[in-house]
Amino acid sequence: MTNTPREDRLFFYTLLPFASIVIAIFIALFVSLIENSIPVILREGLSFLTSNVWIACEDNPSLEFYGILAPVVGTIVTSVTALTLALPLSIALALVVLEYTPVKIRSLLSCLIDVMAGLPTVIYGLWGLFVLAPILRDYVMYSLYRYLWLVPLFSIEPTTPTTVFTASIVLAVMIIPFMTRLIIEAYNLIPIKYREAALALGFTKFEYVRTMLSLARPAIIAASLLGWGRAAGETVAVAMTIGNSFTVGLSLFSPGYTISSLIANQFPNAEFYYYMYSALYGAGLVLLVIGLTVNSIAVVILARWRRIVHGD
Amino acid sequence: MEIDGRMVLDKVFTLLVILLALLAFTPILWILGSVFVNGVKAFTREGLSVLFKTPSSPLSSSLGGIGPALLGTLILIVLTTIIGLPVAFFTAVLATEYPHTLLARIVNVLVRSLLGLPTILVGMLVYTLIVIPMGRFSAIAGAIALAIILLPYTYTYVENALNTIPRDYREAAYSIGLTKAGALLRVFIGIARRGIVAGILVGLSRACGETAPLLFTIGGSSRIYFTGLDQPIDAIPLLVYRYALTPYENYHALAWCGALVLTLIYLAIFLTARIVVRGVEVD
Amino acid sequence: MRFSRAILVAIAIIAIVSGVIVFKHVFTSGFTGSGRVVLRGAGATFLQPQLEAWIEAFMEEHKNIVIEYSGIGSGAGQKQFFKGLVDFCGSDPPLSRSRWEEYRGRVLQLPVILGALAVVYNIPEIPRDIHLNLTGRVLALIYLGEIRFWDDPRILELNPALADKLPHKEIIAVHRSDSSGSTQIFTTFLHKAAPDIWPKKLVGKVVDWPVDKVGNGVGAKGNAGVTATVVNTEYSIGYVELSYAIKNNLQVAAIMNREGYFTLPTVESIQSAAMYALKAGILPSKPDGDFSRELEAIVYAGGKNSYPITAFSHIFVWKSYDDVEKARAIKRFLEWLYNNDSKYIVEGYVPLPVEVKKLWMEAVKMIEG
Repeated sequence: MTNTPREDRLFFYTLLPFASIVIAIFIALFVSLIENSIPVILREGLSFLTSNVWIACEDNPSLEFYGILAPVVGTIVTSVTALTLALPLSIALALVVLEYTPVKIRSLLSCLIDVMAGLPTVIYGLWGLFVLAPILRDYVMYSLYRYLWLVPLFSIEPTTPTTVFTASIVLAVMIIPFMTRLIIEAYNLIPIKYREAALALGFTKFEYVRTMLSLARPAIIAASLLGWGRAAGETVAVAMTIGNSFTVGLSLFSPGYTISSLIANQFPNAEFYYYMYSALYGAGLVLLVIGLTVNSIAVVILARWRRIVHGD
Repeated sequence: MEIDGRMVLDKVFTLLVILLALLAFTPILWILGSVFVNGVKAFTREGLSVLFKTPSSPLSSSLGGIGPALLGTLILIVLTTIIGLPVAFFTAVLATEYPHTLLARIVNVLVRSLLGLPTILVGMLVYTLIVIPMGRFSAIAGAIALAIILLPYTYTYVENALNTIPRDYREAAYSIGLTKAGALLRVFIGIARRGIVAGILVGLSRACGETAPLLFTIGGSSRIYFTGLDQPIDAIPLLVYRYALTPYENYHALAWCGALVLTLIYLAIFLTARIVVRGVEVD
Repeated sequence: MRFSRAILVAIAIIAIVSGVIVFKHVFTSGFTGSGRVVLRGAGATFLQPQLEAWIEAFMEEHKNIVIEYSGIGSGAGQKQFFKGLVDFCGSDPPLSRSRWEEYRGRVLQLPVILGALAVVYNIPEIPRDIHLNLTGRVLALIYLGEIRFWDDPRILELNPALADKLPHKEIIAVHRSDSSGSTQIFTTFLHKAAPDIWPKKLVGKVVDWPVDKVGNGVGAKGNAGVTATVVNTEYSIGYVELSYAIKNNLQVAAIMNREGYFTLPTVESIQSAAMYALKAGILPSKPDGDFSRELEAIVYAGGKNSYPITAFSHIFVWKSYDDVEKARAIKRFLEWLYNNDSKYIVEGYVPLPVEVKKLWMEAVKMIEG
């Protein structure tokens, strides 16, 4: 900055307040999350993460005890299931858009995918609750239970329409367009020389696509991480379809909780108790750490991959 | 005919891909279809007045309407733009005009990582920092929360637009003695304006449908349209969430109606953004 | 160039349209805040249907007062009230002793209506004209996760008439997910009816439901949420305010009362429980007094006709408000309520006896403004 003209330095200083707002948001976020979660962490230590209890007591704070094992497990189970389902489907959808559709329809299709990627999540939740959940229970969950009950995931008889499974499917449906778009973007970034080389070798479509996908593999991994992060952080679509219950187990067919649906349900009354506010902030901190870690890893992978394929 | 293993594999693969893609694509049409069908039903029951009236009581034969929520969402969109745009724009300017400063690098990383921030945390933060000190839920608190959602999207577009201004223009601007501020105002904004407009619109299209940041900030209301920016208001996403969880048939109809209106608002903003972006590509 | 102009026009149109709507509703109908007084309340969903009916009738007669009530649960309502986020709150249970001490002299508690928690279930096999019989002990065992099937011998024993109708299906126990007065009433009942298996620590607005741990518990927001979940879930059981059960045509169980009779929630059985509780002299004579023993007295009250899960529902107001207009509006509402409450009773609630209603007029005298 030493060589810059005085006017430009002044301009820099006028921009400073706006940039500091961004930094302030982050500082405020970290400070409030850490500061507010300290009481519960000091009080309960690691058992805050490893126990599954939610004891609130308005008269006697010493009886209160909060353990978020169920929501943490629920968050991981729903988002991993959603990702497992969404990944192959997103890759297939991206390939169809890129390689198997006539150019005329292609832009319409990719526009529709973009639209769905940004559609308000409460609409996914509404559809999941009223349209998908009853169908899932009556047709999909019952048959999985009937024929695959030996598999621990499907071992409990499905009784409610709102279960961990329902929420996972809604999340999968929600992240498919998002991941498809990321995969399409990555695919388009593969330099033309690789495509030409592959075609010149007389590859079949399958061989060609396989080559392209292996070139884009890091980007697909990054897209998966971003999709996973989105599923793990989603609130309302999950809160509407998961059944909100403190269940820890491997079965997908019982109701559950995720961290964000726990916060959505309990935060409005948290300050009524002595430690619940702190417990929810602690849960929020866990969510923040998960979200930011996954996101940064994905961003780093993507940046490195771009540098490699473009060779600069 | 000779059976070629490669060709068979190719055919099988194509079939598999198309099947999976159909499976992935069905829910997209299904969701849009059910929102449209159920939403239109509400309109045929109540007519256009469903957009203006307040919700009726549960189980009554009439629906009432989503008036306060619609008005609230429109107000929030305007407010969010007013609050979020300057921050996103000037931060992006800082990042592109002074790219080698430490501040610019930090800001760039931070804003982008906002994309990975679970939105409910924004709601908690604004509740703690604004709602509690103010002593009430308010439109302002909701708009601040939504502005934080909008920030990374708008920032990315504006930064991209400013970064892609051809070098020649930059050099030309500086060679006639313009300062960075002058060049920005007289030259760069003109060139990058589509990117900037697209940035706002894309940010708004994300922000307008968010529910989680509003859960603890705007309070919601059903009889009161608007009494001031520092007072509670309602919003369509919140109404959909609230009414979907009730047992009442007329509230479910209102939730679908809200979903349709929200989708239309979102589509209007989103498609406008698309048109603007396409303009950028044509230029 | 052309596109961006089109965008500007589009934005301008949106701005103008929204401006017109704002103008229409904000100014022409007078929602400016100066002419109208806005009272905001939040809290229990237990009394919401009744409160909304009163508010609607009241607003018909008082065009310059708008009352808004959001049902977010007793816990969240009390929290918002004490934080000053709302002007009044609805709560089923009265303030606990410790909270009452904390706000002593500043907060007024007013019982406004009598209601009952109906134990509702969704078992398609049971004909609608037969009611399932349940005891507090069996309900406790269900919510403990120990009775897991509808054809459990302990349920069959209470229901000889349904012996061949109760299916071997898992019981889904629906409960509230938010901090709820209904939960406090329900768990108070379970504790009083079966103290040996339902301990004191499982009594409160938020409970760590044992049935959740076995995977058969479902949480739902508000009385409305529990109702919706029971309607949508076959073989489920839940507890909701009676009016929700009636409006949504749910099957209601008969519950064994203290004297050993199975009773259904009706106007008579609710009144009977209230009479027994009042005879015990549990209500203070002034609204700023301590009401904390009231719930204990009315739940599982004596009397062979008494319905055991009956409760008063309350609203809390401040003794003084910064805004005198608000204080006056609240007084106006309470006076109106005193004269009109029984005209607008929603099915499933029972109006208060006159001796309790006197508290409202006491409050009108005490509120400053």
